[in-house]
Amino acid sequence: MKALITALFVLAAGSAHALNAADYQVGLAAAAKAAEPGFAGFSAQRGETFYRSTHGGDWSCATCHTDNPLASGTHTVTKKTVKPLAPSANPARFTDVDKIEKWFKRNCNDVLKRACTPREQGDFIAYLLTVK
Amino acid sequence: MKTLLPALLIAASAPALAGDHAYGPFPANYVSECGSCHVAFPPQLLTAPDWQAMMNVLDKHYGVDASIEAKPRAALADFLQRNASRRDKHASTVQTPRLTQTAWFRKEHGNLPAKATRTLPAAAQCESCHTAAERGDYNESGLKLPAGFRHKER
Ligand code: HEC
Ligand code: HEC
Ligand code: HEC
Repeated sequence: MKALITALFVLAAGSAHALNAADYQVGLAAAAKAAEPGFAGFSAQRGETFYRSTHGGDWSCATCHTDNPLASGTHTVTKKTVKPLAPSANPARFTDVDKIEKWFKRNCNDVLKRACTPREQGDFIAYLLTVK
Repeated sequence: MKTLLPALLIAASAPALAGDHAYGPFPANYVSECGSCHVAFPPQLLTAPDWQAMMNVLDKHYGVDASIEAKPRAALADFLQRNASRRDKHASTVQTPRLTQTAWFRKEHGNLPAKATRTLPAAAQCESCHTAAERGDYNESGLKLPAGFRHKER
């Protein structure tokens, strides 16, 4: 699965420009389609709900990334500043596949106690792309 | 020049001589991997077995998942082993290794709280008192103590 997403993103990004969030979503969309035959595109609204939900645990994505993805957040345990997650506020976001995959793995485990599905990841990015 | 050069090399390769508390600057991979959730802690303030125990369970790292792919992880583990302390006073006294729970740290700092209080930062928030901690510099010149902090209070 991971190899598939990476391969697709490489195709999508081509060589014309560096990776961005929309390129990464192309690979996620293919993976989501493969996982759910009824998949009909990502939803920023679902992404926002996902972002703010604690999913039955103690933390949500907003716990460290704040209610507003345009703002700097604070790591809830260590109090270290976390730079904004929305690409419009922080252009360095979603430009490095290894970094994206590493943090989805960690933070989904911390918040949901499992890996996030391709659809959840795509919805999450769709939401981040709407905040400006 | 010929005698100056080796002297400079020695100074550069041994930043933590007695009385000097500049432990960094640290390699870029250490800062980016181990300095993203908290300040990159000085490898010199914990022993090799402590670092190894910690690196073995990065997916369960003090309540969060800090897992790192095998290859970059091996390079970090190697860096920590090479720069670890060999002194007992830097050994963690609690099972989950903490450099804030060594005989040396407690002697130097007294009982700083493990969790931040209204008046005091948590012990592991080095940068809230050591303003150059980001660069691994813990010399006294960079100290800025929070109001109400009494040195070595118990
Ligand atoms: C316990 C704190 C915490 C929580 C909760 C958290 N994050 Fe993060 N997240 C971080 C930190 C720390 C970073 C990396 C620091 C940085 O790059 O500024 C990060 C970075 C990321 C990145 C990297 C983006 C990039 O390209 O740079 C993604 C993606 C991410 N988080 C997704 C999530 C999602 C999805 C959730 C909710 C399911 C979530 N995070 C919840 C702390 C958290
Ligand atoms: C995903 C976030 C994250 C990453 C990445 C991370 N840590 Fe941590 N680390 C934490 C948290 C959270 C704590 C607990 C802090 C507390 O209890 O106040 C912690 C605590 C520690 C402690 C104990 C500090 C003490 O109290 O004495 C050490 C040592 C440590 N980390 C080293 C590392 C090293 C080395 C790396 C890189 C291999 C690393 N950390 C990467 C989140 C992270
Ligand atoms: C609440 C403030 C505070 C915090 C938090 C704190 N320190 Fe300190 N630290 C001090 C004080 C005060 C001294 C004593 C300076 C002296 O004796 O001259 C000290 C001394 C030191 C010294 C010896 C420096 C010298 O000149 O003797 C080192 C090294 C050090 N701290 C490392 C750390 C590390 C690493 C952390 C985080 C894990 C940390 N400290 C967290 C306040 C703090």
